Amino acid sequence: MTRREYLSKQKEMGRNLIGVFPAYYPKEILWAFNAVPAEIWDPPLEIAGANAHLQPYICSVAKLGLELILQGKGDILDGLLFPHTCDSIQNLASIVYDYLGLNKPCYFFYHPKAPYRNSSRTYYLEQLRSFVSRLEKDMGPLDGGELKHRVEQGHHLAAILREIYDLRSQGDFSASNAEFYRVIRQGEYLHPDDFIPLLEGFLGRSKGGDGKGSAVILSGILANPPEILGLLDDLGVRVANDDLLNCGRRLLMEPGRMEDPFEALTANYFAMPPCTTKDSPLDERVNDLLKKIEKSSTKGVIFYMVKFCEPELFDVPQMVAAVKTAGVATLIIDVDLNQGLSGQLTTRVEAFVEMIS
Amino acid sequence: MSLTKSIRYNFMKDIGAPAVMGFAKAGKKKRRRKPNPNFGPPLKCANRLKEIMTRHYFLSRYAEGARPVAWVTSGAPVELLRPFDFYTIYPENHGALCGAQRLGPELCSVAEEHGYNQDLCSYARIDIGHFLSGKTPVGKLPRPDILFASNNICQTVAYWYKVLAHQLKIPFLLFDTPYNFEEITENDITYMVSQLEEMIPILEEVSGKRFNNQRFEQIMLLARDSSFTWGEVLATMKTEPAPMTIFDAFIHLAPIVSLRGLPVALDYYQTLLDELRERIDRGIGAIKNERKRLMWDNIAIWYKVRDFSNLFAEHGMNFVTATYTNAWAETISNMDTDKPLESMARTYSLVVLNNNLNHRLGLMERLIKEYKVDGLVIHSAKSCKPYSVGQYDLKRLLMDRLGVPSVVIDADITDFRAYSEEQTRTRLEAFFEGMED
Repeated sequence: MTRREYLSKQKEMGRNLIGVFPAYYPKEILWAFNAVPAEIWDPPLEIAGANAHLQPYICSVAKLGLELILQGKGDILDGLLFPHTCDSIQNLASIVYDYLGLNKPCYFFYHPKAPYRNSSRTYYLEQLRSFVSRLEKDMGPLDGGELKHRVEQGHHLAAILREIYDLRSQGDFSASNAEFYRVIRQGEYLHPDDFIPLLEGFLGRSKGGDGKGSAVILSGILANPPEILGLLDDLGVRVANDDLLNCGRRLLMEPGRMEDPFEALTANYFAMPPCTTKDSPLDERVNDLLKKIEKSSTKGVIFYMVKFCEPELFDVPQMVAAVKTAGVATLIIDVDLNQGLSGQLTTRVEAFVEMIS
Repeated sequence: MSLTKSIRYNFMKDIGAPAVMGFAKAGKKKRRRKPNPNFGPPLKCANRLKEIMTRHYFLSRYAEGARPVAWVTSGAPVELLRPFDFYTIYPENHGALCGAQRLGPELCSVAEEHGYNQDLCSYARIDIGHFLSGKTPVGKLPRPDILFASNNICQTVAYWYKVLAHQLKIPFLLFDTPYNFEEITENDITYMVSQLEEMIPILEEVSGKRFNNQRFEQIMLLARDSSFTWGEVLATMKTEPAPMTIFDAFIHLAPIVSLRGLPVALDYYQTLLDELRERIDRGIGAIKNERKRLMWDNIAIWYKVRDFSNLFAEHGMNFVTATYTNAWAETISNMDTDKPLESMARTYSLVVLNNNLNHRLGLMERLIKEYKVDGLVIHSAKSCKPYSVGQYDLKRLLMDRLGVPSVVIDADITDFRAYSEEQTRTRLEAFFEGMED
């Protein structure tokens, strides 16, 4: 079933569909409102109309998201959610809300930026409550029991993902790179009632298989085009872990076990891996990446950048330096999304793999 | 802090700096620049401004070890730092200075050689390039003890200052101002006030000084009065002909950015305001034949300020207002010593770049009407995404609603490698023609 077919079916089941721009948001709250968050990272579209609103130096994540709206491909959605991720998505949200005259609600979610202090936690907690109040205006009252259930379900989901990531990191997970990320990325739009069984099946099928071979880590925003993963498969290289914003960087490490679901969600946010879009200190990012390298015996890190992504590009020189100091090879690639796998890119990856093999 | 360095700093402040600057002034050959027939007499205050900023950068060379030093972003609530006697350096102001002296690409290249992508903000690349090479046109910048930023102007400053904090191993204080997608909320205000409260013990520790509330309130009042006066300076350009141009304002805003909360900034703007009022009384315009009045959107193109100033004056066009220069005046009425931290939260979080684009559209409409603007020049600055994203829509909407013609110039604030003279000239010629229709 395609993503669109799945979302149409969800709608028929009476669920609200909320298009969500990158990257961090409390998805459990949307689930509790019987809504399905459909994340918008790299819709397969040609950029045309978005160029009338956004300059050439704006990243293709923002442009493709806007293109989706302008081409009417998001008409199936009941609303849009813009987390505060970067300057480009911030202003894009304002263009959509203030200027495009959409006849569907737009929601905004501002999360506090590091360095974290007590005020940040208090603020995040209140932001969750405000977000609920805003949603209640359109979707009716929130069922507190349902929220609690969805928070627990989120923890269960995270536990499966952690197990899958751990096995893969240790080389005990046999799925190809392409298959691995095809499944993991379905979490960008599947309802947890469907995603959890899918992951459990995936875990059962792939656990303990032969996943050895040269290992690399991907750092960046997202692996697009997916052919890059196939290329690594063909070259016999396993992506042992990732520091990708759309995948590993949103993996909940230590779930909040508080009774109150809002407090648990707050604890969850602050327990996620460090991220530049949350202004995590560079030391934390570097250490997180070095730990991943150590755990998976990785020989190389590919920094897979989306062109013009300022938050990510500022961190790269320090991360590259730290990785090199640790004796691990690095490759920096920057791409526009949906541009396919060029001959030049293939050659660079091949040369890199040759170096680490 | 070192006693020897303190003695040296105080000596330079009281005796050295005045003496050195006096010698420099006396020794400088007076080069008479041929007057440009398109302009009125130059502002007398320009010399005083040069003295103030030269002294500021000159003294900064001796500040390290004598006073706590902070590197600060242009939109950060510096009033909180002043009671602790921090010597404040504004890397953005330094970047503008480097840009105006056409040093942008040279310093950016240093950062690029160290892996910083050419697509990153050029203020940041200049600053990192300076940090890595020590190159600067001001002699030397003091090493900071603390970094103080607010993301009310962009998220970039946080990424940039994190790099510095990582390299220098010093504290980084971020004043996180939630972006106003709709309206500012009480939750936002509470959060910002709490952050300011949490910063005080850190500032006490770094500076070795206790927080003095009375002194803080005095500084708030000084900052408020300086911003008010800066607002009055800008408002003189409502007069026809305007007594100054926005290109003058780009230069004269240095004290309100870098010296806000210090008596010298207020004194300077009072003197400037007096001069401008005198010019108004005498009917002196900044340009001799002000036929059209324009608005500028975005940060200046620092390496083109003089060229653009001449070019537009030749066409009898004067820039009389800008969203950029207005930023240091527009929210100051919120400053209130009865609610110091809360009012600072409002003052700093309601600025144009921390507000949604509808707010910006409203502000531009107001400025266009109040300043009787005939046309708009939009600088699409590669370095500044929060200022630039949305400009295409603003251009269209202002044309639809007010019939104001506009032109977009693709450039960068300091890195002239991202600027095409030919393309810009072509666009401007078309704009000039359109303005005459």
